[in-house]
Amino acid sequence: MNSNYNFAFLDEGSKKEIRRAVLKAVSIPGYQVPFGSRELPIGRGWGTGGIQLTLSLIGRDDILKVIDQGSDESVNAVNIKKFVGLCTDVRTTTDTREATLIQTRHRIPERALTNGQILIFQVPLPEPLRVVEAREEVTKKMHAEKDYASMWLQLYESLVKYNKVTIGAEYPCMVEGRYMMNPSPIPKFDNPKLHKAECLYLFGAGREKKIYAIPPYTQVVSLAFDDVPFEKENFVGKRCRLCGSADTYLDEIFDRQTGGRAYQCSDTSHCQWTADS
Amino acid sequence: MISAFLRKHSFDVVFDSQQVYRLLLEAVSNPARIVSIREYADKLFGGHPAFLAVAMTLMDNEVSFTTCSNQPLAEEIVSLTLAMKETTERADFVFVCDPHDLNDLKNIMRKVKSGTLADPHRSATVIIRNDGVPACPLKLSGPGIDGHTTVSVTQRVKDAIALRKNRSDEYPQGIDLIFVSSGGELLAVPRLVGDG
Repeated sequence: MNSNYNFAFLDEGSKKEIRRAVLKAVSIPGYQVPFGSRELPIGRGWGTGGIQLTLSLIGRDDILKVIDQGSDESVNAVNIKKFVGLCTDVRTTTDTREATLIQTRHRIPERALTNGQILIFQVPLPEPLRVVEAREEVTKKMHAEKDYASMWLQLYESLVKYNKVTIGAEYPCMVEGRYMMNPSPIPKFDNPKLHKAECLYLFGAGREKKIYAIPPYTQVVSLAFDDVPFEKENFVGKRCRLCGSADTYLDEIFDRQTGGRAYQCSDTSHCQWTADS
Repeated sequence: MISAFLRKHSFDVVFDSQQVYRLLLEAVSNPARIVSIREYADKLFGGHPAFLAVAMTLMDNEVSFTTCSNQPLAEEIVSLTLAMKETTERADFVFVCDPHDLNDLKNIMRKVKSGTLADPHRSATVIIRNDGVPACPLKLSGPGIDGHTTVSVTQRVKDAIALRKNRSDEYPQGIDLIFVSSGGELLAVPRLVGDG
């Protein structure tokens, strides 16, 4: 551990502010609590919201896992792990089961998380209404009044134009029937995992200075019409080329030389575990 | 008067506050679960060490608080956290040391701030001392609870939750309750969690 820095890098005042924001976020599921996002030795947009959450939560007994698009070994994940390790000396892991804190960019692990675990999302754009309204003061008022008509209209227009809802990642959902929430750019495949989960989900947007949360066993419903149900990505007939899984979120791998396409699990830890067992 | 800080303070502001915070977060995320912060409260001196442990974990000079006329506790919190003293109506954290006086509790619960529809986080967190026999069954439901659950609580917990309900705050406005016993047992009941 680099002793030139405080434990977990942030000063204690910064941690306290983030901790207070997290408690309010858990008390008001789906509501975006503003916080004073701190400077980090990483550019905004590289997961600084998630990192600040991790740094304010982490203790010496924690075991940290960091994933980027499901992978434990991508550049973002490896460097965040190195950074947190440098200022805490906590143990890191790739095993989803043993991690107490999991920081993630754009995926929820395939293996269902348990009640003691905390999943921390890196969020680029926390505001689900930004696609229909550019002004922050207006979206804030829309949330206050639960005025989500324009978002429903956008979904309807998408149906009229394309016969389906064309939102891919960042598919909005309603939390406890009150707040519309952006689940961060996870694929639609992961949206159902937010509903009544055992674990605590925390979302941190460093650039946009917002923190929000979904406590365990919270109702999270992806937006859908009565006659047009929510639909997640479909991998029927496809399997992971490494572990053979047919029920996971698959990445498409294109072979430039042969022109062939193959599929493999996006969650590398789960894929390894399945292949080994 | 020698402050608690000088007399027997061995609470580590980095590591002990992190541990207390994680327990607090566990309690707020799982409202029916009672967690113990005794190990950390024992490192603080004075009449309300569990309150001080919570204060040292969450409070600094950016937030305000009231101890509802318990002046020694207010001075201890100021000396340990530099938080600002404020009226009950405007305080971010409200410490209720003697909830056995129901009228007093009623008065406090009526006054505390519950945020606005636009800024529901600008609401008070009410931290209530909770000593007594947990003989009253209380059925709780809401986020953090799988369906319903029944916990045994003291009469004061039931009173505080009932008083909060009587305010009829329109969600997302509301008050978050934290009950702490002198033995360091902590129970949180956020605004969306209620009886029923």
